[in-house]
Amino acid sequence: MSANFAYQNTRDFEFILQEWLPTEQIFNYPRFAAYYSKDEVKTFLAPILKMCKEVIEPTNTDGEKNPVRFENGQVKTPPSFGPLFAKLQGEGWGTSNIDESEDAMVMPHILHAMVWEMFNAANPTFGPYIILTSGAAGLIQSFGSRRLKDMFLPKLMDGTWSGTMCLTEPSAGSDVGDILSRAYPTETPEIFKIKGQKIFITGGDNDFTENIIHLYLARVEGARPGTAGISLFVVPKYWVNDDGSFSGNDVQTTGVEHKLGQAGSVTAALSFGENDACRGWLLGVNPLENEGKGQGMAMMFQMMNMARMETGHLALSCIANAFYNARDYCRERIQGRLLTDPKSGRVPIMKHEDIKRTLLMGKAHVEVMRAMLYKTYFAFDVRAHDPDPARREKANDLIEVTTPLCKAYPSDEGWWLCGEAIQAYGGYGYCEEYPVAQIARDIKIYSIWEGTNYIQALDLVGRKMTMKKGSVFTAFIENIAEFCSAPRNEGQFTREFANLEKALTAYRQMQKILLKLASNQQMNLVAVYARRILTATAQLYGAYLILDQACLAQKRLGELPADHYDRAFYQGKVEAARYYLLNVVPNVWLIAELLASEDTSVVDIPSESFNY
Amino acid sequence: MKVLVCVKQTFDTEAKIELKDGKISDAGINLIINPYDEVAVEGGIQLKEKGIAKEVVVVSAGSDKAMDAIRTALAMGADRGILVKQDTAADEYARACALAEVIKGESPDIVLAGHVAADDGSSQVPTRIAEILGFPHVNVITAVEIAGGKATCTSEADGGTQVTEVSLPAVISSQVSWNEPRYPSMKGIMAAKKKPVSTVDAAAVANKVAIVSVALPPSKQAGIKIEDEPAVVGAKLADWMLNTVKVEVK
Repeated sequence: MSANFAYQNTRDFEFILQEWLPTEQIFNYPRFAAYYSKDEVKTFLAPILKMCKEVIEPTNTDGEKNPVRFENGQVKTPPSFGPLFAKLQGEGWGTSNIDESEDAMVMPHILHAMVWEMFNAANPTFGPYIILTSGAAGLIQSFGSRRLKDMFLPKLMDGTWSGTMCLTEPSAGSDVGDILSRAYPTETPEIFKIKGQKIFITGGDNDFTENIIHLYLARVEGARPGTAGISLFVVPKYWVNDDGSFSGNDVQTTGVEHKLGQAGSVTAALSFGENDACRGWLLGVNPLENEGKGQGMAMMFQMMNMARMETGHLALSCIANAFYNARDYCRERIQGRLLTDPKSGRVPIMKHEDIKRTLLMGKAHVEVMRAMLYKTYFAFDVRAHDPDPARREKANDLIEVTTPLCKAYPSDEGWWLCGEAIQAYGGYGYCEEYPVAQIARDIKIYSIWEGTNYIQALDLVGRKMTMKKGSVFTAFIENIAEFCSAPRNEGQFTREFANLEKALTAYRQMQKILLKLASNQQMNLVAVYARRILTATAQLYGAYLILDQACLAQKRLGELPADHYDRAFYQGKVEAARYYLLNVVPNVWLIAELLASEDTSVVDIPSESFNY
Repeated sequence: MKVLVCVKQTFDTEAKIELKDGKISDAGINLIINPYDEVAVEGGIQLKEKGIAKEVVVVSAGSDKAMDAIRTALAMGADRGILVKQDTAADEYARACALAEVIKGESPDIVLAGHVAADDGSSQVPTRIAEILGFPHVNVITAVEIAGGKATCTSEADGGTQVTEVSLPAVISSQVSWNEPRYPSMKGIMAAKKKPVSTVDAAAVANKVAIVSVALPPSKQAGIKIEDEPAVVGAKLADWMLNTVKVEVK
């Protein structure tokens, strides 16, 4: 059985949009002001719940029953995926929301992301077909000539064509600078002959769009080695002639991967230019006219950074849906009697302490991750639309620092959290008849996709902590310190704030040790601890966000009458924050202590010792 | 040809109904277009898509909250909306009078509505509108053909179907099996914000019916489970039916 879509309401989204973040700022930007206000967001969100249940969830079942196949050189996708792709793209839910044309009807990024959290929960294996199409279209929109925009964008946006990003090769994955794909100049300056192999290409082929537009990394023959010499090309599966007709472009699918999960998602191996007849359009400057330097990696990072956000977002969708399913099951499943009242009747397992704890642990993590992601999505809207350059720059700084957190934290924690959702079910959770088994299989890839979580951790400690001479990261941490020292009501969340302050102090200590290790050229030790440092950073930041939400929820509870229907929501927010601060955040100072120990066992152990 | 669709805003059909101070409480309840009326909206939009109708106007009577129902219908594809501001305690008679007054001013060729509301289930408003306006009325339709100033409607009848031909203007109320309403598209939702919606006050008409009280149905009693060999289970079940619940055997 595939995963049920178990979201019951959109209350947490409304809280984020209407109560927590100052989104009126976004809804008032000229881009959006003529449409809806933040008070009207239910107009978008309410129909999505039903649409997910009735339209998208059945495609998830289809993906499990009819997984991707490769037969006679052709990729076969689950039959329902094509119609769903056409519907969502055609109706404006997907790629067209990135349209920068003046008359485009688009919704704020933060709201669009909420819609997609639900779509992805209803079918996580489908989302990447559209996410990658949006990424490819975004690159052409940002860096393509007018001609390329006119050629590709309308059909990428209306669902006629799809898009991908092609980085990984059989001999180069995380080390993208070592790719072997080559590009050779032709008589037309913008057009290059392309030759190479790409693997692990999500959505790399399908049987439902007329054409597939690959955004392809290759090195122009003669360009510099390493990432500096890489360029980006638009390589269509079928060459698009000036009159809109197609010619062959020598792009072949050589196989699809058989994976742990993501049964409905195509992961293709592609061959380009096997017969020397593949062409692509260069984006940006010709490296041969630029001291051998290509602009490919810098451009691709636009798509990759967005894909990193979307990967964390997909993980969040899966975790939330796993725990919403577990909640429903634990509410229905009657078993055992209360420890505190053993003579009473049998009770729903949700009433047993450990099950309740598990569900609260899931809820707390979901709400922390949601806070983290949507605060960053908020910054995306500010960066794109705010008239004030200083605000745009500040928003960009937040995006830069939080992107590795948003990608890695949900995708790292999601694997074991889904294990805990299975645990809440008991034996049935391990059975494919129940939905969480599929979610667990599907979620694992997210810690590997779009730059493994080790890459994310190196990005955090190597680049983000040192951006603008460290001032951006200092401000990021200082913001948490300011929150701790801001005036608050007497006795409000005393223990929780104490833990946040203790975690902050430990984190600052950790920063000093990191600085020392770096100045002592002990980068290998920094690397050993990098993933754990990322986790600690996310937990510190997440603790601040959820506690901020809890303070607001506590205030609302003080205003509402005792029998008000909405008290349960706010009470849940408060308890989720308490759980997180008192049960998860101590991990921050534990990691700080681990780093302080400067354990070198990982560095010291010889490779041969792993033989035993 | 102008099509006018009457929509009522009702509770989400999955909402948990609770009483507060002797009244049904709408606190925290998700409000939707009555699913039967949603079918009528879809029917109107399809008539436009087929080139039969030129304009689809959606009308709802109720509080300001009913604007959401109108916007949803506009997002589905209706062209224009009218909110008739009226006390939500208005009975079917007062509601039909208010809607009829607006319909008279609009002079539509066809008035569509769901045949029943999912909340009170009274099935009165479309029939009353037809009576007030002197229009023919066809109920529970599952298909309609429009040609030559007439509507040929297929309706559910007792154990079969009935085909009725009426001259226009007419009131036609739909059964859910007429069509499958579309979900609003994102583009539709965005476009809906810029579609015209006018607001008018309801004609002052007093209710004819007073609700004396409302009560929730008694909660379900727990069942019993008999576990044993099939023959023993049968005997125990028969005994339970005869002697415990005292089923009368005639």
